[in-house]
Formats: sequence, structure tokens, C-alpha cells
Amino acid sequence: MNFDGIHDRLRVIQAPGLLGADLPRAAIPGAKHGESKDAGRGGDAFVLVDPQKIVPFLHVCRDEDRLRFDVLVDLSATDPKAEDPNLWININLLSVERRQRLAIKALLPKADLKMPSSTAIYRAAQWHERECAEMFGITFVGHPDPRHVLLPDDWVGYPLRKDYVFPKEYHGISCE
Amino acid sequence: MSAEPQGSMTLEEQARVLPTGEREFFLDVHTTDLEVNFGPQHPATHGVMRILMRADGEVITGAQPHLGYLHRCAEKIGENVEWLQYLPYTDRYDYLAAMNNNLGYSMAVEALMPGLELPRRAHMIRTICAELNRIGSHLIAFGTYGLDIGAFTPFFYAFREREWMMALFEKICGARLTYSYIRIGGVFNDAPPGWLEEVGRFCDVFEEKWKEYVDLLVMNQIFVKRTADVGVIPKEMALDFGLTGPMLRGSGVDFDLRRDMPYSLYGEMLKDNAFDVIVGKGEKGTLGDCWDRTYCRVYEMMESIKIVRWCLERIEPGPVLGDIPKVLRIPPGEAYVGIENPRGELGHYVASDGGKVATRVRVRGPSFTNVSVLEDLLPGALIADAIAIIGSTDVVIGETDR
Repeated sequence: MNFDGIHDRLRVIQAPGLLGADLPRAAIPGAKHGESKDAGRGGDAFVLVDPQKIVPFLHVCRDEDRLRFDVLVDLSATDPKAEDPNLWININLLSVERRQRLAIKALLPKADLKMPSSTAIYRAAQWHERECAEMFGITFVGHPDPRHVLLPDDWVGYPLRKDYVFPKEYHGISCE
Repeated sequence: MSAEPQGSMTLEEQARVLPTGEREFFLDVHTTDLEVNFGPQHPATHGVMRILMRADGEVITGAQPHLGYLHRCAEKIGENVEWLQYLPYTDRYDYLAAMNNNLGYSMAVEALMPGLELPRRAHMIRTICAELNRIGSHLIAFGTYGLDIGAFTPFFYAFREREWMMALFEKICGARLTYSYIRIGGVFNDAPPGWLEEVGRFCDVFEEKWKEYVDLLVMNQIFVKRTADVGVIPKEMALDFGLTGPMLRGSGVDFDLRRDMPYSLYGEMLKDNAFDVIVGKGEKGTLGDCWDRTYCRVYEMMESIKIVRWCLERIEPGPVLGDIPKVLRIPPGEAYVGIENPRGELGHYVASDGGKVATRVRVRGPSFTNVSVLEDLLPGALIADAIAIIGSTDVVIGETDR
């Protein structure tokens, strides 16, 4: 089953929160990068999902017979631009049984960075969400252990956000 | 632990007289929860990782890994330097398998470059280097694991062969640890004359030496008793925690990205049945114990030798670098590429908006998830087994912290 097959299957079973799919597409001839015309998109195909319904969606992906994505490989976020109103949540699933991947993307508005935690579905999400929370300031509601994982507990700001201001000093240590 | 006589009675008075006339002392052992700080500077953590352990007597009741001592903001740097400039930073996350890191990052960026054709020789040299580096990395895993649990000699044996491997890398790229050799579009330069022949000689010698490792450590009775039935990760737990690589295969899951989602030349090798995937079988104890993981790593080295030989038989002269401009502008897009690193799946998620600098470089290090299993694996184990369990995850802190 290719990506289209997975997407069709998700639509047929009416996976909760499924918003659509985004496939790589060729650039419009003559369009230059950075101009308003569509410059195309390379890379992987992914499904778009409502972040608030991510838990039932992942549940379907894991337990539905013809999907069986039993491993959560990666969960992270991306801040596309400082002025962009959304963060992207990028989730990558893997089916060991069927040797397949599924890329999931969810748009989370920066105004309200809250989404449910997927830890109950995949234990692997726990540490990834901790990292994601400290780096982007996302609150994962229902996370069992919402401590920092890589940064010190008293770190100010969310370093992987594009509007992050680098600190001048940390506990008397100059950072300049 | 304390063994104080209760009340005012002395130990002598508490003793019970057995029918044989002997006296048996009852030491009412009171144990309390004790917090043990393991690391950050401990040789068994292979870097700087702190594990806060709670122990009741000899039994661990809780474990909390604390990471971040080696956090170097690799992902943030990725958003601030040009595509090609980021390559040296990839060397630094899993510094024992830098070739594989270079390969992972290069492949992720190449996935965003439609129409880029890599010369066949570049693929060949990439594969040879990645597999040699896998051998070197597993040699460290195997050597230091022996060292962790008390076997000193295998460590020196492992380093002897690894030294040759590093000398080979020094000849091809000038560096011993941080290579930056595999780059976007191919490899940096061609192998020097005689290099491929020397790799062939290395394979021949290594094959003989490898048998010694198996006898010396893997099948050694003391080692087996120390690792079998210790730190058992059942299959379901391994999948739930997202373990990959030898940690997953040690639990009996037959999955290897090189075979199941082939990239580069591995698909071609499969047609020739060039290599096998080593899966733990629970030979010496329960499936998924520390011994199975070590078994997978050590036997995988031999499979890597097979892969290198396959490449050596087929490599032909030709260019080694595709048509790559000096300053890369990557077309817009986003891609996730995972490759089989010695420790598991190294994933790179790269996003570009068409500029000279990445929008996002996300690194999914296998050690990060492999360490997370300690939270659940250590409780219930004995303090004496903690080192054996931590060592069997083969953690590289540069990668957990990035």
C-alpha cells in the first residue's frame, strides 16, 4: 500500500481529525522561489490532522487492522516563520509489520499552544513531547511527566521558536 | 541498611537455639528508600548522563534519567547556517558513527533535490564507509560493555581493530573521528590509490579476529551469566517505546531499515542476498535480555563485512560527486529520511522554504529513545545489574542531547 492507499483507508474509516493530505508537487514553470506564485514542494507526502483530535487519530493508526502503525518514530515541531500564525507538529509513524511510514502534520495556532498528549497511545511520545514542550512552549495536556528534558529547569524562552531572543547571560555567565 | 538489635536486647539474646544446638541469629534488616545519584561522571554512562535512582536495599525502585549535560543546540544551529555548513555538526551527535550521521543528513537534503543523480561510485564508497563505521561503533559497544561489567581484555582487542578502521578513514578523509566526508551529492573526494585493497585486507583480518571476540566475550560463561535474563525488554515494550536498531532486534522484532526500507545500494544487495538481519532468539535466556542485544551487535559486524565485500567486488572507477553548486539553494519542501545507524534509526526531518538556510533540521537520534526505556526497565532490577542494563543500551550522549 502506498501513501494514497493509506490516505484512502483513513478516509474510508473516517479517522477522527483527518483534514486531508499534502503531496509533493512540481513547481509552476517560470515561478521563482520566494515569489507569490507556487514554487512547488519536494519531499514526502503527509496527512494533515486536527491537533486537538490527535489522540483518537493515532489510536486508529495504531489499532486499525490495515494500518497497524505500531511505532511512533518521531514527534517534533517546526516554526516555519516568526510571522507565521501556526506551528507545525510533525509526527512520523512506522509500521514494523507492514514496513511502511506515515508522516502526519498538524497546524497548531501560536495564540493557543495547547494540544492533548499522545503518551497514552505511544509511550515513545513522552520524551519527544517533553523536548517539544521546552523548545517550542507547547503545553501537552495530560502529559504524565512535564519536566524539561534537555534544557535546565529555569531556562527562559523557547529556543527553537524563530522569535527567540538569545540570552545575554545565564547565572552570571556571559553568553556574548 | 541497618542491623540494630531491637530494644535493649543484644544480638546474643535474640538468637534462637536450633534443635541441633546451634544458635541462629535473626538480623531484622530494615531497609529504607535510598536515593543514589548515578553519574553524571560515571564511566558506565559513556558520557555525561545522570540517572537518579531510588533503591530499596539492593533493588531499584525508581529511575529517572537526566539529560542535557551535552546539549549543543544542534537543531538551532541547523536553522542558522547554510545547508553544506551544517554537515560538520552532524559528526558531533553520534561521534562513534559520524559517517552514518553524514549519510543521514545528506540523504535527507538530497530527498529535497529532485533530479539529483548520484554517481554509482559515490554510493559504493558511502556504503563501504558507513558499514566500516558501523563495525567501529559496534566494536566500542562490545568492548566497553565488557569493560562495564568486568571483562577488561576484550576492550583492548576491540580497540586494536578499531584503530585500523580509523587509520583507513584517516587515509580517505584526513580525520579519525569527525569525518564530514559523505556530503550532499556524493562524497568529498575519491579514495586514494590502494585504499580499496586495504579495506579488503581489513575484512580478511577482521573475520579471523571476530571469531576471537565471540569466544572471548559473547559465549563466555561468566559473561552469559552476567547478562542473560537481565534487563528483559519484551517485544511489545520495545515497540511502544519506539526502540530501533539492535535494541529492537534484540527483543526479537525482525526489522532493519536496510532490508525493509532499502535506501542507497541496499535494495540491490537484497537481490543478491548479500546480507542477513541478525535477530535475537533468546538463546541464553529470556528473549530481549542484555545478552541478546550484545549478540545482535557482535554478529551484525560480520554482516557489515559481507556488505563491504559486496561493494568491493562491484566498485568501478568514476566520479564521486554529483553536480552540486557551491552555495546550495534547496527547493521548498519537507522530508523525513531515516537510516539504519549502528544504534538504530537516525532520522532527519528537514524543511526548506527555498533559501540558503534550512527552516528546520530535526534530528531524531536513536539513543534518545533508547535511553527513555531505562525509566521502566531499571525499576525491579538489582543495583548490581544497573550497569549491565545501561551498558546494553549502548548510549552515546552526544546523540541523546544533540
